[in-house]
Amino acid sequence: MKEQIRQFVMENAQAKGITHVADDESLMAAGIIDSLGIFRLVSFLEDTFRVRISDDEIVPDNFQSINHIESFVAAKLAKKTDAAPAR
Amino acid sequence: MSYVLQQLLTESAKRHPDKLAVTARDGGLTYRELDERSNQLAHFLQARGVKKGDRVGLYSSKCPELVAAMFGILKAGAVYVPLDPQAPIERISYIIGNCGIKGLITSKERLPGLDPAAILSVSFAVLVDSDSQDANHVGWNELSKFPAATAPQIDATTHDLAYILYTSGSTGRPKGVMLTHENALTFIEWCFDTFHMTSEDRVSNHAPLHFDLSVFDVYDSIKAGAALYMVPEEVTMFPTSLANFMEKNQITVWYSVPSALVLLLLHGNLKPERVPHLRTILFAGEVFPMKYLRQLADLLPHIDLYNLYGPTETNVCTYYRVDRQKLKMQDKLPIGKACGNTEVFAVDENDHFIGKGELGELYVRGPCVTPGYWADPEKTASMCLPNRFQPHYEEKMYRTGDLVTPDDDGEYLFLGRRDSQIKSRGYRIELGEIEAALLGHPSVKEAAAVAIPDEEVGNRIKAFVSLNNGDAMSAAQLQQHCATSIPKYMIPEMIEFREDLPKTSTGKIDRVNLAKAPAVA
Repeated sequence: MKEQIRQFVMENAQAKGITHVADDESLMAAGIIDSLGIFRLVSFLEDTFRVRISDDEIVPDNFQSINHIESFVAAKLAKKTDAAPAR
Repeated sequence: MSYVLQQLLTESAKRHPDKLAVTARDGGLTYRELDERSNQLAHFLQARGVKKGDRVGLYSSKCPELVAAMFGILKAGAVYVPLDPQAPIERISYIIGNCGIKGLITSKERLPGLDPAAILSVSFAVLVDSDSQDANHVGWNELSKFPAATAPQIDATTHDLAYILYTSGSTGRPKGVMLTHENALTFIEWCFDTFHMTSEDRVSNHAPLHFDLSVFDVYDSIKAGAALYMVPEEVTMFPTSLANFMEKNQITVWYSVPSALVLLLLHGNLKPERVPHLRTILFAGEVFPMKYLRQLADLLPHIDLYNLYGPTETNVCTYYRVDRQKLKMQDKLPIGKACGNTEVFAVDENDHFIGKGELGELYVRGPCVTPGYWADPEKTASMCLPNRFQPHYEEKMYRTGDLVTPDDDGEYLFLGRRDSQIKSRGYRIELGEIEAALLGHPSVKEAAAVAIPDEEVGNRIKAFVSLNNGDAMSAAQLQQHCATSIPKYMIPEMIEFREDLPKTSTGKIDRVNLAKAPAVA
């Protein structure tokens, strides 16, 4: 999962001329992701990991860095499994 | 009456010494603190040899100290130059050299990125976020050694330069628009009356300080004795955080580019009951897509909405108050009529004033018009022209390059540009500057940047490039090259490589046809 997130972030970063992004680096401070980039990232996460992300969840705590995004998506996926009705 | 900007603060500090003047993340400065801090900085600057008309740079993310610095620099009779903290170092170094910045008000985070050898004019740096001091850096606390009660005595006039704002330049380098105290005050005074500013107001500052939207935020708020809430950069990224910011700080007057409002509308979970104090929204910098403006007008039915228009060279020169009845029928939102103390008119190619249904270029005259571009008399002469419509005395008018037509009510409508300047996310961009950045790479033979219209951001930027024989490179490599000289918002999102670029009959690159070319996946 992390690899896919990293790859998407890197593609965005490259289009802005940035070659290296550390997993704990602030994506906003470095200008890697801007306000529109976040919504592209959200669509990517929703499509790739089959999760639904509400506007209320699009906050710095969840999107600050690759690490933050990973734990956010992982938590969402875990919740999804818990919530799935037993067959 | 105030004839220089710093008087706005001095007056408000007398009336509301203990009221909050400005805040950003946490903490803030009262009017007394802001006034005293700026007095101390002015004395410090004088002690460091800053003289009337010298340039001092602001290079930091948003904080109340920057507002104190703006006033402190003005109180020393100097000129402040806000630098984009996100811009590439090469561009910052160019600007510092171009206008000979003598000192910097900066931060621990920003300063180390600069190469001292590239910014030789800079003789000192004050750190807004540090109290420690060494040979080259002055901590913010160091200022407390200087007199706080009054500013240094200087002869100041309304014609003195107050600040220089750098905008994209078509020849590949940014150009510095010089603004006098009179230029700024013309706009500030008009806003103050038109938007009924009071000391009860809580004003947002969304735009960065190098963007002229912030002139309203800072100075009208200070003039009114209101509270200024600087939106931290990281909050502007997240619509829900931005809506929370508006709610928590009970913002009454909001000013931003339309694209920020569109994001708030679509993703901010903005509701009227969350912003009961909000009374006025101003927007400028780009065309507001009508679909979203109608949604915003419906969502917030009791809030006054104003479209403000004007290039940095005149600040705002026309305005239009959104009429919710007409909005349903309008397919274009007017830029409106002239602001106070300003005249606008449009003439066609034959220099005739245009009437209804005719297309012309918009000109502006009045005390809002810039004296010109820093150290660029040629560019100044091409944009700030002698007023040929009035032969009796010498006077300048500004040629905007914007094509307009008056509607049935005499309100101007913006229809496009005479040249290749575009807007993307409210940023003013010269495609020529992007092309110069692309051509700066040794492998690039030809380059053309074109704007692809986009509902959310105004325009996206695409480049067509041909390479020298035998050379090869990827779009990412070329984007990386661009990042060393132009800001991120100017880097082409898409780069298409072609063997040769199509030419017009006169041998120029055919940009019109390229702009129409279908996207190649």
